[in-house]
Order: sequence, then C-alpha cells, then structure tokens
Amino acid sequence: MAVTFTLNGQQRRYSGDPRTSLMDALRRDFRLTGTKDVCGEGFCGACLVHIDGVPKVSCLLPIGAVEGADVTTIEGVGDLGTLNPVQQAFEDFDVVQCGMCFPGMVMTLSHFLQDNPRPSRDEVKSALVGNICRCTGYERIIDAVMSLHNSAEGRK
Amino acid sequence: MNDLKETVVMNLPRRDARDKLQGRTKYTVDVGGLEMLHAALRRADVASAKIRHIDVRAALAMPGVHAIATAADAPGLHGLGIADHPIFAGETVRYHGEPIAAVAADTLTQARAAAAAIVVEYDDLPAVLTMADALAPDAALVHPDWRNYEILFEGGARGGNVAWQATVERGDTDAAFAREDVTIVENVYQVGRQNHVPFEPRAVTAAFEDGRYHIHTSTQAPWTVKHVTARVLGVPDSAVHVTVPAVGGGFGLKFDCSLEPYAAILARKTGRTVSQVNSRKEEMMTCLCRENADIRIRSAVTKDGDIVGREATVLMDCGAYGGEQVFLTTMTAHTLGGNYKLGSVRLCTKAVYTNTPPNGAFRACNGVYNTFALERHTDEICAAIGMDPVAFRRRNVVGDGDIGATGQVFRGNVLEPMLDQLTAKYPVERRSGTLPDGRLYGRATTVGTWFIFVGPSAATVNLNADGSATLVTAGVEIGSGTMMQSLPQIVAANLGIHPDKVIVKTADTDAAGRDLGVGGGRTTVSIGAASEAACAQVRDKLLGVVAELLQTSADKLVLSGGRVEIQGRPGSGTTIEKIVQQAETSIGPLSGSGAFTAPGERSMPGCAAGHFIDAIDIPVFAVHDCEVAVDPVTGHVEILSYRLVQDVGLALNPRAIHGQIQGGVVQGIGYALTEEITINSDGAFDQTGFETYRMPLAGDVLPIEFDLYEGAPSIGPLGTKGAGEVPILNVAAAIGCAVSNATGKSVNALPMTPPRVAALIDGKAPAPEMGHIDTVWVKNLVRS
Repeated sequence: MAVTFTLNGQQRRYSGDPRTSLMDALRRDFRLTGTKDVCGEGFCGACLVHIDGVPKVSCLLPIGAVEGADVTTIEGVGDLGTLNPVQQAFEDFDVVQCGMCFPGMVMTLSHFLQDNPRPSRDEVKSALVGNICRCTGYERIIDAVMSLHNSAEGRK
Repeated sequence: MNDLKETVVMNLPRRDARDKLQGRTKYTVDVGGLEMLHAALRRADVASAKIRHIDVRAALAMPGVHAIATAADAPGLHGLGIADHPIFAGETVRYHGEPIAAVAADTLTQARAAAAAIVVEYDDLPAVLTMADALAPDAALVHPDWRNYEILFEGGARGGNVAWQATVERGDTDAAFAREDVTIVENVYQVGRQNHVPFEPRAVTAAFEDGRYHIHTSTQAPWTVKHVTARVLGVPDSAVHVTVPAVGGGFGLKFDCSLEPYAAILARKTGRTVSQVNSRKEEMMTCLCRENADIRIRSAVTKDGDIVGREATVLMDCGAYGGEQVFLTTMTAHTLGGNYKLGSVRLCTKAVYTNTPPNGAFRACNGVYNTFALERHTDEICAAIGMDPVAFRRRNVVGDGDIGATGQVFRGNVLEPMLDQLTAKYPVERRSGTLPDGRLYGRATTVGTWFIFVGPSAATVNLNADGSATLVTAGVEIGSGTMMQSLPQIVAANLGIHPDKVIVKTADTDAAGRDLGVGGGRTTVSIGAASEAACAQVRDKLLGVVAELLQTSADKLVLSGGRVEIQGRPGSGTTIEKIVQQAETSIGPLSGSGAFTAPGERSMPGCAAGHFIDAIDIPVFAVHDCEVAVDPVTGHVEILSYRLVQDVGLALNPRAIHGQIQGGVVQGIGYALTEEITINSDGAFDQTGFETYRMPLAGDVLPIEFDLYEGAPSIGPLGTKGAGEVPILNVAAAIGCAVSNATGKSVNALPMTPPRVAALIDGKAPAPEMGHIDTVWVKNLVRS
C-alpha cells in the first residue's frame, strides 16, 4: 500500500515498506541527502524535517505516518537563490564548520523564530536542546540568531 | 612582506557555507545511487580469541550478495613505527569489534543480514583489558609474535605488551632528587578515553577502474589512505587513486586509513562501485579514541621555585594495535616535559597493548591530558612550597634561549607575556571561596605547550586567462575552514588578487603531490608554505613577462588588485588577464609548483630515544583561565567564565579563529566534565550511542573570551601558526585546577562527572591505583 504525501511542495508516492524510517526513504529513495543520518536515535536533530510545519526527527518516524502530510526538508527551505533569514545569518556570521548539523539547526530555528520572534539567549539555547553540534561550541550560532532578534528590534 | 600582511588578513567568509546550509553538499555518506553495492562488516563480538573456523558459504548464497572478503584477500600488515595491524582478523581476534569479513550486496540490509550469517567459531583466549593487566608479570600477550613484525621506524624499545617506548634522559635527576634543599612532590593521574563523534561517520565509496582503485572517502589524509590501502592489498601505491569531498568532521579520527581497503577489495571482486559507511554504533564502538592513560610524575623543587629534577612515566593505552600511540609517545617530551624550565628530566612513555579497540589521534592528542597532569602537578608543587601559582609559572615557563626536555632551544619569550596579558586583563582576586548560593568557587590559570605538526606538502598554482588562480593540493576541508579561508587568502595575497578569485581544487592524489594530511594544525603552515612557494614561481614568470612588456626591471613591479603596476605609479601597468594572454604567446600558461617539509629543529644529542620528532619545529603556546562553581551536594560543575590567550603567530582570519576557539574549548569541556567511556568485561565500550555518551549541548556552554597573541617566532608562511588544534589543549587542565581550588581536594582523574566530584568532596575518591607504574623511575623501562 503506497504512502502519498507532499514533499517540498510536490505530490509524492512511496511504495516501499511503510515502516521504513522517513529519513531512510528521503535519503535513499528520494535522494534528498540534506536530511542527515547522524545518531539514528532522535538525540542529535540532524535529520529534522517539518511535518505540517512542525519540526520532527525523521529517523524515528515511519514513512507510513506521513500519509497525507506536508513534508518539508532542508532542500525545500527557501529556494536555490535565496537563503531564509536563519541561513543568511549563519552565512553572515561565518558559523558553519563541518556543516553536518546545520540542516537540522535551520529546521529547528526557522520554526522556533516564527513563534518566538524576540527570544532571549537562554530561550534560543533551550530551543536547541534537541540539536547537537560537535564543531562549533554553539555560542556563535546563538550570536547569529540574536542578530535577527536585534535587527527585528531595530526595524521597530 | 608587511604589505603582504596587510592584504592577507581579513575575515573572509567560507564559500562552502551556503551549500552546507541548504543541505546540498555531498559528503561521502551522501554519494549513492542504484549502481552502487553496499558493504557491511562482520565484526568480532569477543575481545580475545583464536578463530577456529570461518564459513561464508551460506552468507554468499543469500539474496543480493555479490562478494565476501576475508583475511585471505588482504595479507599485508600496516602500522606506524611497527607493522602490526592486519585489516581482517585472520587467525586471532584481538579486540571486540575487529573486522573478520566484509560483504557486498545490493542493499545495506542484505549486506548486514549476510554478514550476520557468516559462521565464525572461536576458541576463547584470555583478554587483557587494562594496562595494569597488560603489564602484570604473567600477562597474556596481545601479540605473542611481536618480535616478528616489520619495523617501519627504528629506535623504540619494545617488549611483551609494550608496543613502543620513548624515553628522555637529560641531566642527573638522581642527584637532583637527593639534594637536601628540595621539596619532592609526587602525583598520579588517570584519564579515560574521548570519542571524536564526527557527525559524518567514517565512510567510503570505492571502484576498480582501468586497473586502478578509485577511492572516494571521508578522510583527513588522502596520501595515507593511498599508501595503506596499497600496502594491505599488496599493490603498488600508484594503483590507488584517492579523492575527498567535504568531510563532515574529523578531529583527528580520520587521520588514519579506516574502511577504505575493505571497500576497495569488494569493488575489485564485484566490478561494481561499493559504498561502505559505519553505522553510528560501529562508529562509537570502534572509534580510534583519545587514549586512556596512567601517569606518575614527581618533581624536586627548591624553596625559591626552581624545578631541579623531574621524572615521569606515562602509559598510553594503544588498544589492540600500536597505531598513532606509537608515534604519540614522542609528544610526552614536548608537553609533560614542556611548559617549564627543568634542571634535569627523565621521561618514560609507553604505548601498551590491550585487548580493546585501537586508539588514535584526537585534537591535540596526549597533549590534552599531559597538560592536565602537568598543570595539576604544578599547582600541587605551588601548594607544597607555598608559592603563588601564577608567580611560579611566570618564573618557570620556557622563554628565549631556554631548553626543552630534549634539549631543544626555544626562541622568543612567549608564554610569559601571554600570562601577563591574561592576568592584567583579568586580575586574580581569589582562587577559592564560597558563593552566596552555597556553591564552592574556584579559579585557576594554566599554561600549555603544543606543536604544529609540519612535514611534507606540495602545491601547484595555475594562473588562468580570466585572472583567477587554481590551487591544487591534497588538502581536505574537514570543517575547520582552512581550505576555504586561509589558503585562498595566502594565494590571493601573493598574487595580488582577491581570494574569491582563487579556485581551490578538492583533494585528489592524481592531481596533487604528496601531503601528510590535514591535522596537527599543519594545513595553514605546511600547505600554506608550499602554496606560497608555488605562487613565487608564478609571480616570477608573470613579472618577467611584464618587465619585458613595459621595458622595466621586475623588481620595480608590484602585484595588487588584479593588476601589475610600476611601483609608485598606479595606472602605469596592466591587468593580470592581459599578461596571462601575452604570456601564452611567449612562454606559455603561467603555473608554478611549491613544496615544504619539516626543516628539522635540533635537540641535544643523546637525550631522546624512540622519538619520531626529537625537537619541535613550531612550538605553540596557550594560557587558559577559568572560574567554576561546584555544587557541594551533587558534584555538578558549572563553568562561570572561560578566558584564554592563544599564540597564533599571525591571525589570518580572526573570525574563523574565533570559531575554532569556541568549538575547541567546548570539546575540551566535554572531555573534562561529561564525556566518559567505560570498557565492560566483554572488552566493549558501554557507550554505544548519543544517549550514553554525553557531549556538551547548547545549554552546557558559555561564550569563550579570548585574545590572540601575535608575533611569536614561526617558520609558517607570513609567520602563521595553526590555530584550530590548540584551543582544546589546556581546557581539562584549567577546569581540573579550578575544581581542585574550589573543593580543596586533589583532582587526579578525568572526566570530572558529578558522581566523581561528589565523591571527591566527600573524601571517597582516593588517588587512582597506580601499582603498575613503579615509584622508582628506572624500574619502568623496557630494555630491548
């Protein structure tokens, strides 16, 4: 029984085993490798995708569970030529290192900032409780996010 | 040269950030497609055994299976210093997780199922799981045939379960310790392993094309992969071609050859491209960790604070095979024997075989725990003689003309002004106390000495007709940004163009010359110097063409802003594009090649035995200071402030260095406080995933305050030193000393987990048992 869902704005069908993790299906069958397979246990957040607008770890979710849902992966954030504000801040602040955790960081923070446009530093850190980074030591990522906060305030 | 420094320094952004942020970067783990086969390893689930029988017939007949490889397919042994390491266990299993067979199948699921179906019958052997076990008089030998191994580097003493021993003997320590005017301070330290946890696990794809192996892999050292793969497969090095895309984190783990030979063998056997990726559990359980170590150190110190004698023995657990630890025995001399002026010194460092997973290189390697031990010991000395710890350090740190452990002469006063810079900016008001909330306050300041690993690098620079330049090296972008920032900056400054006009070729051993690899802080220095040499050739040719064109002498010409001008006459010259076009009709396209290697610093003859590097070419220094609050009930340690001064030579890209400092210190915080590996009675790690291996999260960290110290002597291009490795060097030392000051107890072991710190406060954490290191230094020596 095929699973039908929206993937980055397009109707897609998956006719394999519906118990396959969404992450495996995205990476292996749809070849959307921006969703990263890191811990495979839901701790690191590198495989986060948006399901109906809400960040979910795709490694723990069977693809059968996204029947009828709207799935957005990192490849579906913005378009090729335009970075979203979180991505742009990360580029501007030169915070990227190996890069493996960043797709997940972008998915978490893009959603978080929609609901919390003016977070405190501690609130940003709390939002990142499910995103692990091994390279950067986080603080410069937070600096980049806080710059969005500041510029929003600046516009007011 | 000063002009060059003005144009080279900038906060150049990284060109790879955008694709990484959009999920478009193709790391090795992202390469795939229907044409690929997938490989899985059958690994041993015992620590020590004879293999009685392997039967692959049933597995080979399973659906989708194309080939199975075993020890018969890879007879060669590899290693550093000693060739002791087969890629497959043939007759003997020496660690839990050791590969026994590799399977290639249409899908990963099929490959794993077939690997599990291979029949392996064992006869169990006794296992030595700790260094104390391994050094016991009647210990079972991990390598009973150790005498028969090929020696790849002469000079180390070996014997039994001691894979390698390096010693330093300078001066008469017996006389120093016998003096009546000295205080003798002796301590023991014990540290556990640290797992790198690169987010991209070790991974490779391999193909067999036109009679050669093409290996596309996640490595820091393509030329090492090329050589080791060829060696274990028994083919010439020239039969192996290595390319490397973006690497998703290395931290030293990927400085060794890993999965590449398995995939190569399976590619040859199947005629197909084979993808092989460690599962996270495999990656965790077979990580070539920063090794666990046991240390005994004692010093004879006068009441004025002169260290007249020092003796130390360091045991490094290399696991089942020698690997990097054989090489790293060298670094005790330059870390535990570094930092301070010593009247006399004897050091013994042994890499010890155990039936545990092999260890490897991790950012600043044994420097991190040797610095922890040395700085804790230094604070114990200060307490024993009643001297202020900063005053003691100011008095004793190595400076211009002082000699190191092996007798090398240091140039320039670096550590002392760095210490002064830190303590002037953050004056020490108190080192211990109680905070209003009842927690225990501690502060400590530590120094550290490490080195920039140099060695051979090659570079080619082509100046193109559109005014861009192409840099061809075997350098790899592992995340630190060196290939994206410092190298294009160096090339651009030397050619008078903008770094955006420098194309950086990804590592390819068919295109670029030999290189030792990206690690040890060497990339900016070694590949940078080779690149500068290549640029010098290009510049000479370019200026020669212009000199003829403008009828002037080459030494009156300057390269800047994509143009060549006569000095002092802007607008007099012409664009690089035009000159390249002109050159094509006279001398041909403009290209240059450059090379660099270790110049070879001198040590004192006869001091060091078994060392791969007797003296370090580029020392690098760091001063770290931290304040902690310790919960007296739970033992939880909170870091209140973390400040440092780092010796960088010249800061090419200060913003990128900030990134390395923040990231490196946080990795050190994990090592100091939470990252713990325990080895169970099966010889396996208990920590098999992210649930049990506790890395720092965003909520655990703080902004690191830093100052960069510039101008210390360096042979690096433009006076640079590597800046990415050293930030982790004295983190465990600074936190360990601060926790000691807070609690009033001796911190002798890492990591300082809450239960361990709580036990320390309660007086229930005695110094580690160290009966396997004799208190009489000379009795620890292996003679061979």
